[in-house]
Amino acid sequence: MTEATDSAEATMDAPPESPEEKKICMTTFYEILDSFPERARRYLIPMMTRLQNEFRFLPPELMEILKDELNISRAEIFGVISFYPQFRTVEPGKYIFKLCYGTACYVKGAPLIATKLKEKFNMGKGETDPTKLFTLEFASCLGNCGAAPMAIIDADTFGNIDPEKTYSDVTDKYSL
Amino acid sequence: MSTVVKQTINFKYNGQDMSAPEGTVVLDAAKRAGHFITNLCSNPKLKPFAACRTCMVDVREEGEKKLVYSCTHPVSEGMEIFTETEETNRYNGACLEMLLVEHPLDCPICDKSGVCPLQDNTDALKLYNGRFEIKRRNEPSIKTNPIIEFYLNRCIMCGMCVRICDEIQGVQALDYHKRGYQITIGTANEEPLDCEFCGQCITVCPTGALMDLTSEARGLAAMFTETLSTCNFCSWGCTVRLETKKGKLIRIEGDETFDLGINEGNLCAKGRFGHGIVQNEKRIQTPMMNVGGDFKEISWSEAIDMIAERMNTQVNRSGPTSIAGIAGEKMTNEEAYLFQKLFRGVHGSNQITNLQHLRAPYINRFQEKCFENGIVSKPITELEHADAVLIFNSDIPSEYPVAGNSIRKGAIYTGTDILIANPRRVVFNNEAQVDIRMTYKAGADLAVASRLARILIDNGIVDTAKVKTAVPNYDDLVKSLAPYTAEATEALTGVSDSVLVRAAERFGRTADRVILIGNDVLETGHGDAILDSLLNISILVHHGAEGSVSIYPPREHANSQGIQDMGCTPENLPGSARIDDAEALGRLKTIWDLKELKLDQEDFVSNLWANCSQGHVKMLYIAGEDPIRSYYKSAPVVGALKTVPFLVVQDLYWTDSCQLADLVLPTTSFAEKDGTVTNMSRHVQKIQSAVLPEGQSRPDFEIFSDIAEACGKPFSTFDVKEVQDEIVQAAPSYKGMFPGRKSKQWQPEKSGDHAAFSPVNEWVEPEANESFPFKLITNNHMFHIGGYTHYAKALVDIGPECIAEVNREDAKNLNLNDGDRVRVESDTHSVEVAVAISSRSTTGVIYVPKNWTEVPVNKMRNGHEGLVAVKISKVG
Repeated sequence: MTEATDSAEATMDAPPESPEEKKICMTTFYEILDSFPERARRYLIPMMTRLQNEFRFLPPELMEILKDELNISRAEIFGVISFYPQFRTVEPGKYIFKLCYGTACYVKGAPLIATKLKEKFNMGKGETDPTKLFTLEFASCLGNCGAAPMAIIDADTFGNIDPEKTYSDVTDKYSL
Repeated sequence: MSTVVKQTINFKYNGQDMSAPEGTVVLDAAKRAGHFITNLCSNPKLKPFAACRTCMVDVREEGEKKLVYSCTHPVSEGMEIFTETEETNRYNGACLEMLLVEHPLDCPICDKSGVCPLQDNTDALKLYNGRFEIKRRNEPSIKTNPIIEFYLNRCIMCGMCVRICDEIQGVQALDYHKRGYQITIGTANEEPLDCEFCGQCITVCPTGALMDLTSEARGLAAMFTETLSTCNFCSWGCTVRLETKKGKLIRIEGDETFDLGINEGNLCAKGRFGHGIVQNEKRIQTPMMNVGGDFKEISWSEAIDMIAERMNTQVNRSGPTSIAGIAGEKMTNEEAYLFQKLFRGVHGSNQITNLQHLRAPYINRFQEKCFENGIVSKPITELEHADAVLIFNSDIPSEYPVAGNSIRKGAIYTGTDILIANPRRVVFNNEAQVDIRMTYKAGADLAVASRLARILIDNGIVDTAKVKTAVPNYDDLVKSLAPYTAEATEALTGVSDSVLVRAAERFGRTADRVILIGNDVLETGHGDAILDSLLNISILVHHGAEGSVSIYPPREHANSQGIQDMGCTPENLPGSARIDDAEALGRLKTIWDLKELKLDQEDFVSNLWANCSQGHVKMLYIAGEDPIRSYYKSAPVVGALKTVPFLVVQDLYWTDSCQLADLVLPTTSFAEKDGTVTNMSRHVQKIQSAVLPEGQSRPDFEIFSDIAEACGKPFSTFDVKEVQDEIVQAAPSYKGMFPGRKSKQWQPEKSGDHAAFSPVNEWVEPEANESFPFKLITNNHMFHIGGYTHYAKALVDIGPECIAEVNREDAKNLNLNDGDRVRVESDTHSVEVAVAISSRSTTGVIYVPKNWTEVPVNKMRNGHEGLVAVKISKVG
C-alpha cells in the first residue's frame, strides 16, 4: 500500500498548474477501498461510483493505483469507464447541468435551451464551459415530463423553463 | 493427462456416430472430426464466448428439439446434432449479413484474404446478394506501435484478441472500449500498445483487423508459400509457419491446426517477429580470412582446403587431442552429428564440447539420473493437462513464453495449480485457483528446494515407507536434509514456512506434476546441487505419492538438448552413451567403417579455455557460437581465443569471436536449411528450408561434409535423410523419431534401473560483501535471446535499450528515478546502464538483461562462481 501511495504523491506533485488544487487525499481513497469486503475486481464498479461521488470524477492518477490494487489492466479499467457515460475522467465544472432530452422536454424546447447554452457558455453535450462553471450533460428522461422542459443542476430542479429566459431564470443563479 | 479422468460421450452428428471427451462443445467436437460449422469467434484455446452468433445448430437432447450455439453447448450422451438445416442457415446467415453491412470488403489488400473465416462463412451460407444497404466504416488505421497495426474497419467484435490477450497471454493489453455503435477494440485511452508483443492477437484475428507491420508484403496471405518449421530461438521448440513470397521471407505465423507441434499456434515476440535475422544484408556473405588483422574474402574451396590441411597436419604433428570443437546450440541434430563425426570419426579426437556442457556438465548427468530413477517425463504437449506446475527460478514470460501459454490454458481448463519459486517477483498473470509465490533471497534456491523435500517427508505428504523400500539410500537423503528446519530455512530464504508447506502439500497430493527449471539456476554457482535436490523431490513423489512427475533439464537454445544427444560433449557418444561404453564404441566403429576408434585420451576440452591459453589446444573450431558474448564469463574466453594458433568461427553474423578468428565461414540460418532439432523435453521436430541461403553462406551440413572429404575421409552420407538413417543406428533412442508432420518425444532405452537419491551438501549462505551489497541477476530479455535478435529490426524496435531493474526501496536509498543511468560495478568490471524502478526486483537485487553488446554483463564475473556481487552508483 505504501508503494502505491508514494507513486501517487509523486505524480500528483508533478503537474505545474495549481498543485495545491490537484492534490488528492489518498486517505479518503483508501477509506473508500477499505469500506468494501475485499479489494477484488468484482467491486470495481461500486468502487468507482463511490470514488466519483467523492472526487466528482475519476482522476487518472487514482485509476492507476486502483488498477494495481485490484490487479487488473489499464485496458480493462478504461474499458469499463468508457462503457458507462456517467463515469468522468476529466474534472467537471462546478455545477453539473443535466438537461432533460426526453420526448416531452424535446418537444417543449430542450434543443433551444441547448443552443442558448452553446451560445453563452460554448459548451455542447458532455462539455464543460471554459470558466469551469457548468458541465452540460443530456439526460434521456428525468421523469418529470409534466414540468417539461426541465433540467437538474446539482441538486436543484428547474421545471417549466421558458427557453427564451434560460439565462435569467436559470443560469444567472449560479456563479463560480 | 490430468489425474481427473474425463468420460467419453457418444452422440450423433448429422446421423453419423461420433464421440468426444466430456465437456467438449459441439463446435470443437465437429472441428476435431474434420467437419465444418460456420463460426467466427470460437477458438479451442479460449473460453466459449458466443459473440458472433453464426454457429447455431439444431440438437435433439432427451427428445427435445433445441436451437443452440455450438460454441457454447457441450455434447451430451445420446445427443443428435443437425447442422446446416434451413432454420439454422437462416439464423446464421442473418447475423453474418449484418456483419457484412459494415465490413469494408477490401479483400485484395487484406492480410487474411483467402484464409479468412468471414469469407469462408459467407461462401458456406451463400450470401452473395446482401439484403441490406451497405454502410462501411472508414476510420484511419492505427499504427502507434512498431509491430501491430489496428485497422478496425475490418473488426467484427468477436473479441478473440481481447480474450487471447487475457486468457492465454495474461497481459490484458486490449479490451473493448465504449459501447453500442461506438464500440471498438483497443488499448486504454488509445495509448500506443505496450505489451509483450506476442502477436497472438494477429493469429486469432479472423478478419485482418490486426495486422503484422513487420510483414514485408500486404494482402492475399493465401498466395504466400508456407513452410512449416521449428522456431530456432529458445528451447521450447514451437512450430512456426514461414511464409514466403517470390523467394523472400515475408513473415512468421503460428499455425493453429489441431495436433500440430507443441504450441497450438502460440508464439512469442522473438519467434514471430524475429524473422529479420534471416534475410539481412548484415549477414556474413563470404568466407573471410584474417591476414594480419584485416579480413579478406576468400573462396569456399580455399577455405575448406585450408581447414582440412590444418586439421590433418595438426593431428599428425601433435596428435588428435590438439584439435577441439565447440558445437553451436542452434545447429540441427544432423549437423551436430556430422560435427562430432568429423572430430571423432575422421580425426580420432574426442575434444568436442558445447557451451552449455562446458559450463554445466552436470545437466546431462542430471538427465541420466532422472531416467535411472524411472522419471522419464511426459511430452511437453501434456503440460496443459498437468494438475500442478512448479516453475523453479524461471521468468516464464521471458524464458519460455509459450510454456506460459500452455500453463495458463491448463489453469483455466484443468485447474492447474501454479507454484512459482523465484528470487524476483516475476510477473505471471493467470487464472489459477492456487497460485503460490515463493519469492526467496537471491541465491537461496537450494535451501528452498531442500526444505520442500523435507516438508514432503516430515509432514507425511508422501508415503515414506514406500519410498524407503523403493530407494535404498533414503536415509542419506533424510540426513542431508537435517539442517533445513522451518526456522533455519526461513532465515536463509526469507520465505515464510507456511508458504512452503502449502506449496509442498499442493505438489504432493495426487496429481500430474511438472517441474520447469530455469537456466537461472546455473547462475547460482551450485546448479548441480539445485538440480539434484529438485530431482530428490521428484523421486519422493514418484515413489511416495499417486500421480506422475515430469522434470525437464534447463536448456537455453533451440537445440541445446539435441547437440548433447548427438554426442557433442567429451563424455557422451551419440545417443547419450558414455564415452567408455564399449558396445556403443563398437557400434560407431562399424557404422563409420573404421579400423579402430580409440577415444580414451586426455580430456583437454572440459577445461577448454585454460588449455587453449596453455597451448594444449592448437586448433579450435567454433561452429555457430560467440563464446566471448555468450559464455557466462568472458575473460578466460578472450584469453583463449587470442592464444589458440588457429581459430575457425562459423556464424551468421560478425561477432566478437569472429574478430579473433583466423578464418570465418558464413553459415545459414534455420530458415535456409533442413534437419531436425530436439527441444528441452526431447521432442524431435523438423526444420525445413523456406528460402535460399543468403550471399555465399552454406549450411553447416555441407561445410562439415566438404571438410571431411577434403581431409581425405569423406562421409558416406550425402543428404539429411541418409544422416538420419545413420543417427538411428548410432543412437537407438532416436529410432522412429525423425518426424514427418507429427513430432515425438524420444524415450530412453532403459529407465528405472537404478533408483537413488542424490543427497547434497548443506548450503551455506555466502558471506555478504559490504562494498558490493547488491546481487546481479542476469538472463535473456523478453525480446532477445543470444546474439542474433539484435539484427531483427522489429525486435530492436520493441526492445531497443538495455534497462536494469531495481526495487523501489533501493532506488529511494540510491536516489534513483526511472531512466537514470547507473554504473554497476563488480570487483572486475563495470557497466553503465539505464535503470527502471520495478516491483519485479526484490531488495538487494539488480536485474540486467544479458543481450546487449554495450552492456557485457558476462565481463563482471571474476573467477568465482555464484551470483555476482555488485555495487550501484548513479552516473551524472
